[in-house]
Amino acid sequence: MTQEQTYLLGEQAVVLDLNCARLDNEQQNRLFALHRHLQKQARYTDIVVGKTSLTLVLQDHTQCAKWQEALLTLWQSLSAEDFQPTTHTIPVIYGGEAGPDLAPLAEQLNLSPKDIVELHSSPTYQVKFLGFLPGFAYLGSVPEQLQVARLNSPRTHVPAGSVAIAEDLSAIYPSASPGGWRLLGHSTTRLFDANVQSPSLFQPGDNVKFVPQKEGLC
Amino acid sequence: MLEVIKPGVQMCIQDLGRHGHRHLGVSQSGVMDPMALHIANLLLDNAPNTAVLEITVGLAQLKFTTATNFALTGGDLNARLDDTPLTPGWRYFSKPGQILSFASSSDALRAYLSVEGGFTLNTVLGSHSTDVQAGFGGFDGSALAAGDQLHYESCVAKSSAGALQPPYHKQIRILPGPHCERLSLTTQQLLCTQQWQVSPDSNRMGMRLSASEPVTHQVSINSQAVLPGTVQLPPNGAPIVLLNDCQTTGGYPMVAQVIAADLRHFAQLSAGDMINFTLVTPARAYQETQQQQYHLNQLRFALTHRDRSIS
Repeated sequence: MTQEQTYLLGEQAVVLDLNCARLDNEQQNRLFALHRHLQKQARYTDIVVGKTSLTLVLQDHTQCAKWQEALLTLWQSLSAEDFQPTTHTIPVIYGGEAGPDLAPLAEQLNLSPKDIVELHSSPTYQVKFLGFLPGFAYLGSVPEQLQVARLNSPRTHVPAGSVAIAEDLSAIYPSASPGGWRLLGHSTTRLFDANVQSPSLFQPGDNVKFVPQKEGLC
Repeated sequence: MLEVIKPGVQMCIQDLGRHGHRHLGVSQSGVMDPMALHIANLLLDNAPNTAVLEITVGLAQLKFTTATNFALTGGDLNARLDDTPLTPGWRYFSKPGQILSFASSSDALRAYLSVEGGFTLNTVLGSHSTDVQAGFGGFDGSALAAGDQLHYESCVAKSSAGALQPPYHKQIRILPGPHCERLSLTTQQLLCTQQWQVSPDSNRMGMRLSASEPVTHQVSINSQAVLPGTVQLPPNGAPIVLLNDCQTTGGYPMVAQVIAADLRHFAQLSAGDMINFTLVTPARAYQETQQQQYHLNQLRFALTHRDRSIS
């Protein structure tokens, strides 16, 4: 049971907060269905899906009260089946220089490097939301056996394309940046290009499947 | 063209920002002071969202290699055209070869420069703003460096014109944030009843504040959308006012939102400055935004009238 509510953030943003620790699959897909619905129906500046919320930044503040009502009604009336995700297949080279944290992690978890690759590439991940860097998608969920904390001391430079994990999430760094996630592998798939109309390969709610390449450990 | 001789601390191209891509992790960017951009462009009869140069701290030198009218707005960084002192809020004419230099000031941090017709730039995701973290937009996606050249069309001289700019304040008006009720009452009171000092590790992403009584707590929230003007409160009790270059989501409680009309004041705040927060109603916040629009309309009217009567 959730006690969903809506509230304002500043003058022209309306937030639907589902007020719970985490969403089940049905709720998660319903939230993405709501996102897609609003992209077609609302006059907005931005719509941002959070872990358990959706924020609608309106163009016109006089519409706030209307949308505070409408978001609750829409949330109740949409269903998980209203959302049809796209699935992306991402080839990954695991271990070695491509994934410098893989071998030490295997040792720490008392698993073989191959087990780590298998565990990481077995689920179909879902893009929960994007943030941190343009095109940086938070992918859930990493199998429980593989859930580990971030590095104690973040790296100052994580190369673009690094496939990484932290807690229950996985991600691919779309561009080079500092970062504290554990690096398991590398992908050459282009994730973000600011110079095209649809700049990000991943959209909220998309499915992602990692495919281990023979150049790596597998 | 405009040639950068000395870029100062951070000189970058900004317009009113990049919108509609926050769900993909793309920041807003854009000028810290939208009023300064609007005034600069009104003075030159430019399109309202024409990109301007944001000059931070000063200590910069620029050379106009072709004739242009330009407008200087924002904080007073003691600018000069060759040896002539300039006043922010005014437009001027530069002959080819003249040098615009900025010193610095203890009570201003950012100045804005617009040229008639605007600079020739590529649009990235619907905006000319520089996203310094992501490395796109503006001039090659980065702050300007010595030797960089910005192109513009030369134009004939207009007479000087200008007006007093709306003042900058250190009294910041806020709306209550959504997570206040999860924090104790004293936490909320402490935010509005004491002065906050701007920390040195502040930038266009956010302004960190400190006070004698930090507002510590143990509350965490699920990551959700944040916006420029959102006041986050990390457990250490030192609030962060998120600004134009902020990330798109955050996991710290949001205890307040700076009203849109007051965001411009953050453009002029530097390390050590003391600020206060005052709680206002949404109605008051809209009123302040309207007031700014009214100011711009008045200025547009006055300038149109003046330029017509001269020519």
